[in-house]
Amino acid sequence: MIFPALIEAIQASAPAQWMRTSLAAMPVIEAIHVLAGATVFGTILIVDLRLLGIPDTRRPVTRVCSEMLRITWIAFCVSLICGALMFSANAHTYVGNTAFRLKMLALLGAGVNMALFHGITFRNVGAWDQNAPVPLAGRIAGATSILLWVCVIFLARWIGFTKGFDFQVPVNPHIDFQF
Amino acid sequence: MQGSHSFASWLSGTPASLSIKSVSWVIPLVQSVHIVMIGVVFVSCLMIALRVLGVMRTDQPVGAVWRRFAPWMWSGLVVMAATGLTLVVGEPEREFDAVSFWVKMLLIAVGVGGTALYGRSLKAAAAGATGEFPVSSKAASILVVVVWLAVIFFGRAIAYDKQVWGALSPHA
Repeated sequence: MIFPALIEAIQASAPAQWMRTSLAAMPVIEAIHVLAGATVFGTILIVDLRLLGIPDTRRPVTRVCSEMLRITWIAFCVSLICGALMFSANAHTYVGNTAFRLKMLALLGAGVNMALFHGITFRNVGAWDQNAPVPLAGRIAGATSILLWVCVIFLARWIGFTKGFDFQVPVNPHIDFQF
Repeated sequence: MQGSHSFASWLSGTPASLSIKSVSWVIPLVQSVHIVMIGVVFVSCLMIALRVLGVMRTDQPVGAVWRRFAPWMWSGLVVMAATGLTLVVGEPEREFDAVSFWVKMLLIAVGVGGTALYGRSLKAAAAGATGEFPVSSKAASILVVVVWLAVIFFGRAIAYDKQVWGALSPHA
């Protein structure tokens, strides 16, 4: 396991305890996480599609980027805070979960892809800002971004089905079967 | 609720439901597609609303923004209905016995009807537009976004019906 002491400290922290004990915390935080995550995806999708020339190349890339990325970053921060809270509640099980690890890898990939695009391809944006096809590198960045963010969402949903829980099952649970 | 519960029990035993349940990855996969579509539908609606509010895309007329995003929004909703139906058939008791599910269904009806009316009202408002939209159009923009926000919230809350509704939930 990675940094066992750190994981221990995260799981023992006050926000983690609040997430585990409050009735409303998990559903509310999770719903906000889904909403913010979906907003990140939807706004990035508009930028990525513009790079691919969909629906057309009439609106300047610079304008589409600056408009969308404001919303993207706000939604990303909200999503990150909620995700961190969910992580803290069951830190041990998350770090060992394959879907979670792959999701972090996909997020890292999306970040690197974005950094490469903005750091290299975007530098001569003036030449293809409007009414011109985006260079191949930019189109590849757009397609890669869509693919990676779809992976992030799929892997995120997979965590919920594979993670299990980090608490004791009661010894004599009372179960009502309804046949 | 009793009637819907017996219906859920019956649906749960049908071959369609059993085949969805028997393959472990179907429900997570369909839920993932459903969430991807939330991004498409919600952000499309948000773009139209922000344009009417004058926050974004002011270089384009509202009609153009509507034509750009409405097809994505309606197609996304169709995919969401199809994936949502698959989830209902696969896990009918989870859905029909949840208060949040029924609240969500009601809000979807309000959302779809409201968004269609909103689109029509924008066409009328845009005809005599001097650039700025009337307060009623702006209020309607905020309202549709809020309705879809509530739909998304109650969608996730289905998994936590007892925690959200307490004694009101049949799961309690």
